[in-house]
This record gives sequence, C-alpha cells and structure tokens, in this order.
Amino acid sequence: MSAKTSQSRGPGPGRTAAATPAPGGRRWSRLEFALGRNPAGLLLSAPYALFVAAVFVYPIGLGVWMSFHDSFFTAPGVDVPQPFVGLENYAAVLSNPAVRASFVHVAEFLVINVPLTLVFSLLLATALNNVIHWRGFLRVSYYVPYVTASVATITVWMFMFNSGGIVNQILGPLAPDPAWLVSKIWAMPSIALYVTWKQLGFFILLFLAALQNVPKELHEAAATDGASRWQAYKAVTLPAVRPATTLVVLLAIITGANLFTEPYLLTGGGGPNGASTTPVFLLYQQGIQQGKPAIASAIGVLLVIGVLIITYGSRKLTERD
Amino acid sequence: MKRSIIILIAALATASMLAACGGGGGSSTQASDKQAAKGPITIWYSNNPNEVKWGKQVVAAWNANHPDEKVTGQEIPAGRTSEEVIGAAITAGNTPDLIYNTASVAVPQFQKQGGLVDLSTFPDGAKYIESRTGGAASQYASVDGDYYQLPWKSNPVMLFYNKAIMRKAGIDPENPPLATYDEFLATARAIVKSKAAKYAIYPSPSSEFYQSWFDFYALYAAESGGKLLVENGAATFADTAGTSVAELWRTIYAEKLAGNEPYTGDAFLDGLTGMVLAGPWAIESYGKTDWGVAPVPTSAGMKPEETYTFADSKNVGMYSSSKNQGTAWEFLKFSTSPEQDGALLETTGQMPLRADLTKAYPEYFTKHPAYKMFAEQANRTVDVPNVSNSVEVWQTFRDAWTAAVIFGEGDIAGALNDVAASIDKLVSQQ
Amino acid sequence: MSDMQPRPHRRRILSMTLLMLGALVFLFPFYYMVIGALQTKRDPSLSGAIPWPSNLTLNNFLDINGAINLGRSLLNSGIFTGVVVVCTIFFGVLAGYALATLHFRGRGLLFAVVLLLQAVPFQLLMVPLYVLLVRDFGLGDSYVGMILPFAINSVAVLIFRQFFLQVPQEMFDAARIDGAGEFRILWSIAVPLVRPAILTAALVTFIGPWNEFLWPFLITKKQGMQPLAVAVANFTQTGAGFHANPMGSILAGSTVLAVPAVVLFIVFQRHFAETHSSTGVKG
Repeated sequence: MSAKTSQSRGPGPGRTAAATPAPGGRRWSRLEFALGRNPAGLLLSAPYALFVAAVFVYPIGLGVWMSFHDSFFTAPGVDVPQPFVGLENYAAVLSNPAVRASFVHVAEFLVINVPLTLVFSLLLATALNNVIHWRGFLRVSYYVPYVTASVATITVWMFMFNSGGIVNQILGPLAPDPAWLVSKIWAMPSIALYVTWKQLGFFILLFLAALQNVPKELHEAAATDGASRWQAYKAVTLPAVRPATTLVVLLAIITGANLFTEPYLLTGGGGPNGASTTPVFLLYQQGIQQGKPAIASAIGVLLVIGVLIITYGSRKLTERD
Repeated sequence: MKRSIIILIAALATASMLAACGGGGGSSTQASDKQAAKGPITIWYSNNPNEVKWGKQVVAAWNANHPDEKVTGQEIPAGRTSEEVIGAAITAGNTPDLIYNTASVAVPQFQKQGGLVDLSTFPDGAKYIESRTGGAASQYASVDGDYYQLPWKSNPVMLFYNKAIMRKAGIDPENPPLATYDEFLATARAIVKSKAAKYAIYPSPSSEFYQSWFDFYALYAAESGGKLLVENGAATFADTAGTSVAELWRTIYAEKLAGNEPYTGDAFLDGLTGMVLAGPWAIESYGKTDWGVAPVPTSAGMKPEETYTFADSKNVGMYSSSKNQGTAWEFLKFSTSPEQDGALLETTGQMPLRADLTKAYPEYFTKHPAYKMFAEQANRTVDVPNVSNSVEVWQTFRDAWTAAVIFGEGDIAGALNDVAASIDKLVSQQ
Repeated sequence: MSDMQPRPHRRRILSMTLLMLGALVFLFPFYYMVIGALQTKRDPSLSGAIPWPSNLTLNNFLDINGAINLGRSLLNSGIFTGVVVVCTIFFGVLAGYALATLHFRGRGLLFAVVLLLQAVPFQLLMVPLYVLLVRDFGLGDSYVGMILPFAINSVAVLIFRQFFLQVPQEMFDAARIDGAGEFRILWSIAVPLVRPAILTAALVTFIGPWNEFLWPFLITKKQGMQPLAVAVANFTQTGAGFHANPMGSILAGSTVLAVPAVVLFIVFQRHFAETHSSTGVKG
C-alpha cells in the first residue's frame, strides 16, 4: 500500500455539506425526499436547533430590525416613535472614519494573526505529538496562557511591553517611542502578537486531537515507500489534518474579527484617538455606553457580512485541490 | 449552500419582524397613583465597603419604624460597567426603586429611555432638593428644568502629594509650591529630575470617556472659575482657560513628567508618582502614605477659597419601574436627612451634597481635620453637564485630548475648536 | 535508512530546546501572576519577577477571601461551567455527528446557522438577550439564566463536525449494511473514535464560561450567585482600593481562578497520549 492509495481511504477534501444522491441509483421514497437520506440526523440535531431558535433568534432578529430603524432601548411601557430609516444607519456607519479605521485595524490584525496562528499551532502540535520526555509539562505550558484570566496576562504583557519593560530594555535604542501599546503604528500589531500567543494553546489542542486521529498505517506506509520526513509530512499528515486546518483558519478569522476584550483591556478605551479600535469595540462603545443600539446593530450586521465573506473565501482556498 | 443562504436570510427577516412586534405595550397606571402608593421597596447601592456599611444601617433604621414599608438593600458593583447594568435593567423593567449609585453622566440617557421618575413632580420635590443642596443643585437639573436625580454625594478633586517624595526632591513637604502653573511645573520637574519618583503626576492616559474628568476637567473648572464643559447648549472650553489647561498638560506629557501608558495598579500608592488628583475617597486607601493636599493649580494662582474643581458626584435616581413611589420618596428624604448625611460622612468620608458642610457637622471636622479641606472645597464644584448624548460628548473630547495633548499631535487651539464644534452638534440632538 | 540515525538525535535535541524555550515564554504570565499574588508589597520593577523570600506572604489570598467568598464563587463557577460542558458535549456530539455524516433536510441550513452564530458578536446580542431572559422567561438571578446563552457551544459543534469528517465514512457504511440503526452506530462506533475531540471540546468549552465575566455579571445581582470570574472582576474595579496590596489581591483571585483549569488540563492531557486510532478496516 503506497501512501497515495492509502490517502483515498482517509478523509477526502471533497467533503462538503452538499447532499449526495441515493446509492445504487434507486428512486427515493417520498419520505426520503422530504427528510433526506438519514432523517435520524434531524432528530440528533434537533436539540441544538431548538436551543438556537429559543435563545438567539429573537436577539439577532431584533438587532437586524434595529439597524433599519431609528431605535433605542426604552423602559417597558414607554412608547417612543421608532421610524423606519432604511439604510440611513448603514450610511452613517460607513461614512464614519472611526468605523472605517476599526475595520482596517481588524484587517491588520488578521493578516498578522491568522498565518502566525496556523503555522505555529500546527508546528507546535506536531512537535508536542512527537516528544516523549516532558510531554505533559510542555503541553500544559503552551495551554496555560489560554486558560489564565485576561487581567493577569494583560498585567504581564503590559509589564513586558511598557516603555521601561523587558522588551524595550533589550531593544535599547531601537525601542519605539511612544511605546508599543500606545503607538499608532505598533498598537494593533502588539495586540495581534498578544492574542496569537494567548490563543495558541486552543489551536494546538485542536491540531493535537486531529493528529491523534491520523492512522498509524499511513505513516508506516510512507516510511516503507522511502519518503523523507518532510515528504511524509506533506503527503500524509497535512492532508489528514485538513479538516482541522480549515476549522483553525475559520475560528481564527471569526475570533479575530470579533476582537473586543483585548483592545478594551490592553488599550483601555481603544488607544490614543482610536488607534486600536475594532468594530466590536465600537459596537460596544456606541451601542452600550453611548446608547445608540441602532448604529451598533448596523456595525454588527456589516461585520457579520464581512466575516462570512472572508470565511467563504478562505474555505475556497483551503479546500482547493 | 446557496439555497441555505436564501432560507437563512428569509428566516432572519421574519425573525426581525416578529421581534419588532414583540416589544412595546405597557401599563398605564396613573402617575399620581404611583406617587401615592406605599409598600415595600428595593434599593441598590455601590459595593464600596464603607457605603455598604452605611447602606445597611440606613435600611435597618428605616425598617425599624416602617414594618409595612420594608426596604431591601442590595449591592451592585460600582465599576465602569454599572451604567450598562442599569441601562439593561431599565430595558428589562427590573430596576429597583432607588439606585444610590446613579452617575450624572448617565442621567440624560436613562431619562431618554424613560427609566427615571421626574422628582419635580412630587409636591415637595424641587424644594427639598434645592434646600438641601443649595445653589449647586441647578447644575443637576435636566434641560427641561426638572430634577431626574437627587444630588447625593461628591468627591471634590484635589491635588494629593507624597511628602516623602517631596522631601527627597528638595521641596518643602509642608508647603510645596503648587498654586500657579509655573510653580507646578517647577515642582514636577524637580521631582522627576531628582529621581524621587519616576513621574510627577500620573493621571490615567487611557481613552475611556470619563478619564478627562480627572485631568482636564478638574483644572478647567478651577481656571475658568466654575464653568461647565457645556453651558446653554454650547461648548465653553475652546477659550483661553481651556487652552491654557491643555497647554499645561501638553507640556507635562512632552517633558515626560507624566506617563503616557496605562498603569495597572495605583501609581501613587506604588510610589511611581509624587502627586495625584483624587477625592476624599482616596484618603482611606492612601492612609499609610504620608500625604498632603493642595487645591488644583491655576495659571495665575488663585486663593484656595476661590478655586473650583470637579465634583465627581454620585446621585440617587428613582426609576420608573417603581410601584411604591410614595415610600421611595419618603425613604429618599430619610436617607438624605441631616442625621443620615452625617452618618454617610462618618462612615465613608465622602461629602454629602449638602450646602455648607463644615457648618452642619462641626464636631466631625474638628475630629477629622484632613477632610475639612474637602468639605470646604465641596462648596465650589462643577459637575458633568446634563446634556443630550453626554457620554458621546465626553468620548469625543477624550479622543481629541489623547491625540493632541498626550501625544502632542497637531495644534491645540485648532483641536479644541474642532471638538467644540462636534460637541455643539451632539448636544443639540434630541 | 542507515544514514537517518545520527540526524534525528541532533534534530531531537534542537527541537526539544526550542520547545522548552517556548514553554518558558508561555509559562511566564502564569508564573508572574503567582509571584504577584504572593508578594507583600507590589514591586512593578524588573526585580519584582523574582520571588524574594522577604516579600512573600499568603495574605493576599486571605484578603480577597474576606472581600469575596472564594468558596461560594468557585461553587457557582463550577455549576455554571459544569452544566455548560455537559450540555455541550452531549448535544454537540449529536449535532456534529449529524452535520458531518448524515444527509438530512436542512443540513446545509443548520451548518450555516452554526457559522452565523459563531460570527455574530455577543455584545450585539447582550441587551436583547437580557431582556428576553429576564422579562419574557423570568430567569433573572438564576443559574438557568446564566447558563442558557452558553448551553451549547457552537465552537464545540464545529469541532465535533470536523472530527467526524476526519473519520473514514466506510466504517459507518459497513455498520449500516450490517443493519445497525443510527443511534447504535453513533454510540458504539462514532463516539469512541472521537474521544480526543470530546476531550478537546470539553477543555475548550470549559474555558468560556469559567472565565466569562460580562454575562453572569449582567444577569445576577445577588453576590451569592456570582461566579468567581465576576467576583474577581468586580473586586478589581471597586473594592481593590482599600486593601494592603490591591494588585496582589487581584492576582491572588486570578490565580484561584486559573488553577482549576490548569489542573483539569494536566489531568486530562494524558489522554492525548499516542493512541493512534486503528481504522478498524483492515487491508
């Protein structure tokens, strides 16, 4: 069994959510047509669907509705006219330079964070999967920042990166002034670095579990065929963890686009003159602090559309060939 | 995939229609009925340990004499998120009858939401508030002239300095020269140059909307002789007073006399800075440090008895979900009576917003001379203006401040004028 | 293959060194937090990172325990997180399995919903969700109210789906041909195969509610109901000013918050040992 043929047994890249025709070419019965080939799936996924319907449909629906009206939250019994304003909120949001800047910041963040996350989490997961000594200690170490509360990790990060901190002391004259987190140029990259470091444990976990599921036979087959380590890695491991790769990229993009806690805590209020704001941060500031939920909803809807476009694009990329 | 997208959009549209219809509809009890109604009520107060102590005793004192109108007290965290909690509670309709932690900056928003009861509609409403607080009460009224909050307590901001650090810097610790801007700068430079402390003063440089209250606004109140940020619908600070304050701070940041990065912790307590702008609430936490207090500086120097500052007040709001407003109003008056204000003073050291405190509680101030300065200062304070979009106003100001003053970009007069124009627009919106 | 012998040895040492260095960098915040929690007086300078014996004390832990009842908060955190993890694993496996291997009407739609839910920022939903749960469902100040928005973690559903995609479809088909029903296939074949995924999902789902501060803070007013993350956050914002070493007490609270998660991981990461799943389909 060569590596190539054994690959066809493993998870293929063509797995999408599309329904496939019934096997054997027989005609579908009425029930099958209505409910699909495995109607048990409906039953299995019903609790989750119900949960979503009961808890999230109303808030999301209300958010969308609010984005098209001049509305704000009122006490019960208070009747205030909330006229339909069409795309006015969206126009206000898109013409607001602060909002545009926040989307640019998120793009900056994603460009740094996603590739770094992907590369390092896969590398570290592979390495951690292969070590024998100190395995437990190493795995726990990489997981720990993910688990430690933000208030503690941020204290450390600020301690390391403030103008008198370790990093600047090492850099000496190369240290930027103003310091990292308050500099217009370096604030977002610093946040990107911080988040990458903090979240890495989560993505390493994902890859670790995926690597566990790569059948040993595949590795052995590759070795028998005389493939070098790198060839074996490329031909066996990478395709085998492709679903995990897709998931990691997807989650990294979504988490990055929804970045809120880090700008909120690390740069307290979005940085000097909004140097490190993100759309969700503005959503919070304007929707909750300033009492303009209609504008916030418009920002939210635009953000979700943007994220869905990007994730769709990334799926096309990672599920190619 | 395409088909599921279409279905999803259709579902969202339907859901949003349903959601919109779901809201609304409410009770229509007459306001006057509610005002007369008596019965049990709930109150919230902040979780500051001293305020909790005061809160518990005032509730116990009332309950002893009013078995049919029991008050239940509850602490809510008084952090930067307390306004969100109250805002969400207003929307859900589960606010308590009284909240002893209502920030004046949030009152316009709560009022717009329909969450606050107009206290002036009580027969003795306006009279009670004005006789207790005196002339200063007018700045707490809303644009329509009615009171939607009862001014409760203030923490006038003054300049604390660390005597040990002053000594190390070669400055007289009992009378450091801090009255004029020139003196202030000279003292600050001496502190930093002598390495007595890393910074001379270290207000938080971060961009939350309320940070400007503790660097700009305190000094502007003094320099302008008691002007609010916005008066009569127009921003006031793009004048010489505002510009001199901004120039001073710009110099301070440019010469690195203050840090431009947020510090996690209390810089004064940790010995990182020689001075700090704070109110009497800080006395208890600064206890062990050998500190002194001076009024905030002004450009040409002003007599302490004429210097204004920022009030940093916390007030009481009665919320529209209250069913027993009669009891709520009586309890409100009870908890702000001379006896209870005195108890507040004793327990927390914060200044009740009562006219002429030093005359009202002479024994307290003889026993606690440290607080006397603050009590006298409390007669001359300026608070957050009660205008539309007040949070956004302060955020706009802060964003411009961090760029122009803390990081020295652009020219100050231009920046202040631009911000003033934006603020004028915000304030004129309904 | 003989020339591969000396190289792996050097390579192994190199990769081990790099891993160790990386581990130290990753461990540093936890270490600094613990040191800060044990300091008598806060030392923001560089030397503050070294545990000088003269500056060590357990007072900060006692201090924060006096301000917030650590035991009670931990219990609340445990209930909140435990129920979320159990619900998520149970219903998430069902949904993930269905999405990955079964073809049913609405499968594409459900997957789109999972993605959408993940993509929508929570801050947008906060206030309407609060109104819904408090006004319409009457769940203010209750565990159910705290748990409900987190009850089934969509990330976990995605994780389960991806891992079921990784399992060869032939195994399920073979069982179906043998006449096994869907539930039996799920229970006897699918679940044991994705044990690492269940572990991952459990560990990942655990962190969310354990560190979650904003939602429980909104929905509970009673101090006795608040989970530890909320209690520490409240303490950070207000109560801290009146204590001997406020930063130390905050870090002490954060340490107490972080330790169970780390311990849990240490205990469970052993199950990530190299048990390569044999495919069950020989030859």
